[in-house]
Amino acid sequence: MSIDWITVAAQIANFLVLVWLLKRFLYRPILDGIDAREVEIRDRMQEAVLAKEQARAVEKAYQDKVHALNVAQSEMTETIRKSAEEQRDVLLADAQKRLEREHDALKTHLDDEAQKYTAKMHRAGAGALLSLTRKALRDLADETLEVRIAHRLVEQAKPMVPDLQRAAGQATEAVITSQSSLPDLVEEELTSELRGAFPEVAVRFGTDEAQAPGLVLRVGGAQLAWTVDSYIDGLACLIEEQLTAGNDLRVKSHEQ
Amino acid sequence: MNLSPDQTIMFQAWGVPINATIFYTWVVMALLTVSAILITRNLRPDVPPNRWRTMLEVIVQGIEAQIEEVAGRRERHLLYYVGTLFLFVAMSNLLLVVPGFEPPTASLSTTTALALSVLIAVPLFGITSRGLGGYLKTYLEPSFIMLPFNIISEFSRGISLAIRLYGNIMSGAVIAAILLGVAPFFFPVVMDVLGLLTGLIQAYIFAILATVYISSATATPPNTEKENP
Repeated sequence: MSIDWITVAAQIANFLVLVWLLKRFLYRPILDGIDAREVEIRDRMQEAVLAKEQARAVEKAYQDKVHALNVAQSEMTETIRKSAEEQRDVLLADAQKRLEREHDALKTHLDDEAQKYTAKMHRAGAGALLSLTRKALRDLADETLEVRIAHRLVEQAKPMVPDLQRAAGQATEAVITSQSSLPDLVEEELTSELRGAFPEVAVRFGTDEAQAPGLVLRVGGAQLAWTVDSYIDGLACLIEEQLTAGNDLRVKSHEQ
Repeated sequence: MNLSPDQTIMFQAWGVPINATIFYTWVVMALLTVSAILITRNLRPDVPPNRWRTMLEVIVQGIEAQIEEVAGRRERHLLYYVGTLFLFVAMSNLLLVVPGFEPPTASLSTTTALALSVLIAVPLFGITSRGLGGYLKTYLEPSFIMLPFNIISEFSRGISLAIRLYGNIMSGAVIAAILLGVAPFFFPVVMDVLGLLTGLIQAYIFAILATVYISSATATPPNTEKENP
């Protein structure tokens, strides 16, 4: 065991050369590569952090936009709902008015139809009544209806003569109107009866198709009339009572 | 039987005899350098790391981590020095299994040279780190009475480093040679396997001790730091 100092010096030199060689060919490239990779990783991490922050900002912007859109949608929905409600109210009011107008028109139409029907019924009833009365008078009493009407008017007028004279005043003409022209016999009888009551008054006969069957006497401001209207009204009431009674009977028979 | 490869002359170069220690040192140096060049020749950022480069990175980073653990900080110059120390000793000891190879670390001259280089490196790193005054002051700590003891301690470190490495490696080689004569087949193999293990351990111990010595010389004394109020 001995130390060769020349070898020691050579080994020190060798070792220092080896330090330089390994530093040049091993440590520097390896450490530089590691450092470069660490820098790259650090840069990528920073980029990732930056990208994450950008993504968060974009997400926040997106959330804000979605929120704004939701708010706008809610406002728009509310506006549309209010507008629809207003439009619905307007349409309902229009429909109600139109319905009321149509209802009024229908009611008016029905009233007109009822009036027309009633008038028609009146005319038909009056015609039927006059025909029946005329036929009954001719068959039973051998008289005409016009003569009996004239007698009736004269009988009504006799107790009212003072009142008629007072109402007639200074009138010089009495007018007797009928629906159709009267027979001469009847006119003569009426003229003689009226001259007895009103000697100063001339008698004139006329026709009025719109008038109900019967006679109407007008002297000055006084008027005395006998028509079949009251009979027709009575007949209508009678028919209505009979119809009502018939309905009741029918209902009762159904209930039984 | 030669106990030291210093006594084996391999060849003459320009009249200078080259012994086995220097020759096999050059072999180890060539192996390490060529390996490093081959592995790191395609070392570019755009080339993905292969298994050899990864292995080297693991070794280098392992050495760096050990130095950081001992010294408490990253020191690239220390890495160059201690890393080379470790690789040289480890490679020399591993090549013990190659027939005919005489490890340079089995020579007391080599281990002495390595210990001397550590002895020289300690003050150099210390002066670089602390300055000349700061480094010399450490010999007077904790008291000037400790100056001779500190100097003896400094030299005894180098001697212990040299003798420890030499003794372990040389004894392994000598025992293997003796057993080769006694039992030619089985025992030398077992001893060579054990020699690999002890060789690596010795390389690690040598490098760690060198790191401890150098880092103790370069460490900043606690009393020089400014205390925060």
